[in-house]
Amino acid sequence: MELTDLQALEERYLMQTYRRAPVEFVRGEGALLWDSEGREYLDFLAGISVCSVGHCHPEVVEAVREQVGRLMHVSNLFYTEPMVRLAERLSESSLGGRVFLSNSGTEANECAIKIARKHAHRRGVEAPEIVSFERDFHGRTYGALAATPNLARNEAIGPMLPGFRSVPLNDTGALHDAVGENTAAVLIEPIQGEAGVYPVGEEALLAARQACDRAGALLILDEIQTGVGRTGSLWAYEQTPVRPDVLTTAKALGGGLPVGACVTTPEAGEVLEAGDHGSTFAGGAVASAAALAVLDLVDEAALLRQVRELGATLRDGLLALEGVAEVRGRGLMIGVGLGDGIDAAALGADLLRRGLIVNAPEPRTLRLLPPLTVDSTQIEGAVALIGESLLSCSP
Amino acid sequence: MSSEKLPRDGRRLNSASDAAERLAAIVEAAEKAASAVIDDAEEQARRHIEEAREQADRVVAERLRELADELDPQGIGVSAPGERRLRPVQPAPEPEDQQAPRRSASAGARLLATQMAISGASRDEIEERLRNGFDIVDTGEILEAILGPEEE
Repeated sequence: MELTDLQALEERYLMQTYRRAPVEFVRGEGALLWDSEGREYLDFLAGISVCSVGHCHPEVVEAVREQVGRLMHVSNLFYTEPMVRLAERLSESSLGGRVFLSNSGTEANECAIKIARKHAHRRGVEAPEIVSFERDFHGRTYGALAATPNLARNEAIGPMLPGFRSVPLNDTGALHDAVGENTAAVLIEPIQGEAGVYPVGEEALLAARQACDRAGALLILDEIQTGVGRTGSLWAYEQTPVRPDVLTTAKALGGGLPVGACVTTPEAGEVLEAGDHGSTFAGGAVASAAALAVLDLVDEAALLRQVRELGATLRDGLLALEGVAEVRGRGLMIGVGLGDGIDAAALGADLLRRGLIVNAPEPRTLRLLPPLTVDSTQIEGAVALIGESLLSCSP
Repeated sequence: MSSEKLPRDGRRLNSASDAAERLAAIVEAAEKAASAVIDDAEEQARRHIEEAREQADRVVAERLRELADELDPQGIGVSAPGERRLRPVQPAPEPEDQQAPRRSASAGARLLATQMAISGASRDEIEERLRNGFDIVDTGEILEAILGPEEE
């Protein structure tokens, strides 16, 4: 089937909620993808930080293959070992409490929001509020959407869930004022991903922690994009001066399969009880087996060190390019702020033609999320391609 | 049928060259066996070293996590296991005094350093973050408390 045929079918049968690039990918290995015409691409988006151990990592493939052949699904009415082992692994590597497994990041955030609201009700709060930063992205289901200020303004799909408010990123004063006795939680990304890779400052994180403790609220860190090694530690909060009460993760966790998790401290893990929450597919044996294989690969000091070192190499290389105004982020989560007059979307399209996959989350920012297993030659190659493209796309 | 063993091709050993050939085959087989034994021993040794290293890493990580749990009772987000983290409704607090943020920042710096150590960051990486993130010029005290004295 030709690409044009696929495009016609897509337009006929898929809801038109995405603008797709005109490429059909048919194969992936490590940081490389191949399209239906046999052309090779260097993937510096990794399925929006999902394929963090590279495409089709043999150990993940083998874990999935083995589990698929043995047992796929039994529902959450029974036990399976991969599900329980995954929960143990997530808890022991972070907050030490309980885990609710889900199928996606937005579902993990829904769970966190439920925990926060119920916890607030226990404190006697009738109308609990959740505070986020402007331009945060927490997902597209209604609870997570309400905590995503930019999307929550879309009145066409209103009314939104009540009880959410936002303050400007890194505005400690506004955060202090917004958090009060009705606050159930502060729900924030440690580094805003979809907004264009904007890290939350350490003062703001400390202010959020202090405000939550003052109000009796929970600090929820959305590590859906930053977690599972992306920033050079297993969890991004490990490189900050705070620890959350709840963290949510997804994307890279399944290595390409859909899996998410809401992870708590021991105390926050006591909030939800039987009947409060559930999901038919969540914690499925295959997705859990994949996630365990991913964690085996990523939770390794050598790999995490490599992420930090290659991230520094990538930042230095980008900063040396004409047309790059700034480089934001941590580890291999990079936002490239472009100079005046350079259109990120046009640059991204040009890079795709040159064989490098990136994306443009805002008009003047390129976002780079290469697999954590990328090598230095591929980093140098990507920098060179961006440099060439900048020369041709600059005004 | 003769009880004498035949070579694989079925020929009898009836000459000195046959005997030499057989001897060479025996030596080669012995060398292969010895090589396999050596490889196996090396593999076992590698595994032992790896296990010992992992065990040491686990002990260090566990201790660092305990340290993180012991840090800062002032609400930086660290609690000892079993301690109630979810607090009952409290009256709105009085405005914080001037000292509070500084104390918290200091505790935050210690927590940051501890968490970075848990995550496998090097001494230099932690030192850089303490200098840049918290404007701490003399990082020695925090680093030594968490990582021990610097090796010469």
